[in-house]
Amino acid sequence: MNSGTVKWQRNLFIASFIVPTLLFFGVFTIYPVAQGLYYSFFDWSGMSDKKTFVGFDNFVEMFHDPIIWRAIGNDYFLVAGKIVGIMLLATFFAVALTRFGFRLAGFFRSIFFIPNVISVVVIGVLWNFIYNPQIGFLNGFLSLFTKEQVTITWLGFPGHTIWMLLPPAIWAGIGFYMILLIAAIQSIPESYYEAASIEGAGQWKQFWSITVPLTWEQIKVSILNIMMTTLNGSFVIVWIMTEGGPDNSTQVMGSYLYQMAFRQYHFGYGAAIGFIILVLSLITTIVLQRLMRHDTVEMS
Amino acid sequence: MMMKKKFAALGIAVILAAVSLAGCGSGNTNSEATNKPTNAAPAAEETSTPDAGNEPAKLTGDFEIQYFVGGYGDKWWKKVIADFQAANPDLKIKESSGPKINDQNRPRWIGGNPPDFVYIDGPVLNDRQMVEDGQLEDLTDWLKDAKNVDGDLITDILAQPAQQFDGKVYNIPLVLNSWGVFWNKALFKEKGWSEPTDFASFLAVSDKIKADGITPFIHTGKYPYYINGSILYPAIVSANNNDYTILQDMAANKVEAFESPAVLAALNKIVELRDKGFIDKASIQINHTDSQMLFLQNKDAFIPNGLWLPNEMAKDIPAGFDFGFIPSVTQEAGGKVVANTSTSTVAIAKNGKNKEAAKAFLQFIFSKAQASQWAELSGAPSNIKGDISASNAPSFVKDAAKYLTDPNTIVIPTITYNADVDKAMMDATDALTISTITPEEWVKRVTDAVKKASK
Repeated sequence: MNSGTVKWQRNLFIASFIVPTLLFFGVFTIYPVAQGLYYSFFDWSGMSDKKTFVGFDNFVEMFHDPIIWRAIGNDYFLVAGKIVGIMLLATFFAVALTRFGFRLAGFFRSIFFIPNVISVVVIGVLWNFIYNPQIGFLNGFLSLFTKEQVTITWLGFPGHTIWMLLPPAIWAGIGFYMILLIAAIQSIPESYYEAASIEGAGQWKQFWSITVPLTWEQIKVSILNIMMTTLNGSFVIVWIMTEGGPDNSTQVMGSYLYQMAFRQYHFGYGAAIGFIILVLSLITTIVLQRLMRHDTVEMS
Repeated sequence: MMMKKKFAALGIAVILAAVSLAGCGSGNTNSEATNKPTNAAPAAEETSTPDAGNEPAKLTGDFEIQYFVGGYGDKWWKKVIADFQAANPDLKIKESSGPKINDQNRPRWIGGNPPDFVYIDGPVLNDRQMVEDGQLEDLTDWLKDAKNVDGDLITDILAQPAQQFDGKVYNIPLVLNSWGVFWNKALFKEKGWSEPTDFASFLAVSDKIKADGITPFIHTGKYPYYINGSILYPAIVSANNNDYTILQDMAANKVEAFESPAVLAALNKIVELRDKGFIDKASIQINHTDSQMLFLQNKDAFIPNGLWLPNEMAKDIPAGFDFGFIPSVTQEAGGKVVANTSTSTVAIAKNGKNKEAAKAFLQFIFSKAQASQWAELSGAPSNIKGDISASNAPSFVKDAAKYLTDPNTIVIPTITYNADVDKAMMDATDALTISTITPEEWVKRVTDAVKKASK
């Protein structure tokens, strides 16, 4: 057997793994993305059998559309809010459930994970009930402490209703990232912490000098993942809870895309918004990766 | 090295082939799809005679009906299609139906291969958009002298005429429902409140209701077309000397219509409700079901809604609850009641393959016998004139039919606004009810949307 056949077989072996995946990726990802980009250059209602080529008009129009800017702002507000909220709480819970080894740790781990098993649609409906001004839990709870019945319209503030979408989004996200961090923390050898305590480092010092550096990869992945799922997926929670209202105050790019493409019959414009989501996701990923670049800490 | 390059080249070739195949794939299915029905079309053309209007010609070939199944159910459709089939045994009728049918059939409308006949109801389908997209057959000339199976002129038996788009008719209203304001007669009797007949009495009784500790008015801010349909549009017509052509001008994107003082007067009525504290603060964030639940629990006295409300909430209506209804509350004392209708229409696809059968079906369904049958089977008034008082239709349907045929009621025929303008009006009304904009700003916003939409 000469080296050529060995090489050929090796390459065939590699190709048998790569080619099918690449094919599926091409057909189900690259092709739709290319189609989406293609449609974004047309004025098309989404129902008609005719489309008009308009070049970059959809993108130019978007530039002058105040709602799209508000949607982008809301999207990044949710990204920032979710990263801070989820990472703080998930890290806190992960450390609490691993480093302080109390008896009910397993129970709490399951409890915190439950929202991840529930569909986002159910979460949206559930929180709609919590926020309901008349029969909702939140006003009912607050009314316990006041003389008069509290009737705050939690989802009806004209200016900052988007704030109200943060708690459900954070609540729904904590569990998964907590599990991720728990796994990371558990892989840190116990001896590190022992050595640190002998050297006189307190819990806080141990957290900053051992836990954070040694779980940095997982923290980074978590932050990137929260960012990407928020930019691509906050549509669901927004659509279930407010449909972008009142008066477009909670519109995010995903919900505005849906509104324009399927409710107002501007499919080409919707496709253009979709393309912007893709571009912004890519840019944000690169920027965040740059920002979080950190010397790798090797465990040895 | 060479091998590697070769494999890379091979890989790229495979990808390219795959991508182009993917392209071919969709191309093929398209052409196949368009080919198939054309085989059926000639058969239909050969056998159907052009004067199908007068003599029931023998219809053959395939005939496909698309109907959305929503609040009105599908009982009537099943019945009428079965009857039509019995009358035309040689026709192969295919039903495309269900609550998701508008989405399911969308690729076929885009691909130029739609069903022959379509019932325009539910989300997704919008008659104005379908007309603009050139999807619907122009029925203007046909309808002028089309007679139904009983020999009646169809236009004569329509309670409300078909909407005109640039003077042309593309779809015929099948349902005749009405927006309006509901209250609970039992509660009003118990509390000694008088039922409203005009704006002054509406305000007066609302004052009393508020003093009695109940919020007078709730609506769904999540879907502001309820308040627009039941309060704003009738108010505009009342303020415009009962002339509803102003709404038709608005639908035709005429900026002057929106700038009319009648629009401002109507908006100021909503402002008055708002400033007197009559509008439930919960309204802005809740959906229609939540607002209807609060209304049924007597937490709010009035609700703007459509006549389907009793049917929709049938399971949740508490014992003793008695629906009171008036199509509008914004008219001056002694003025005429304005009923803003809500309809669903039927049309023929421009690219349909069996238009003769579709026209024959129109002649079949727009007959007097169907008025009672529709009311009974769907629980809503039909757009066909006919006495339904003897039928088994629900009593509120009969009441509504009475209202809509009363000579003292101004009935606004079906009007579809441009989707962008409609959205702008909904957003602006929401903003108006929570005091973030003024009526003048409402007009400014909406006229901006009109200018943009008509570009």
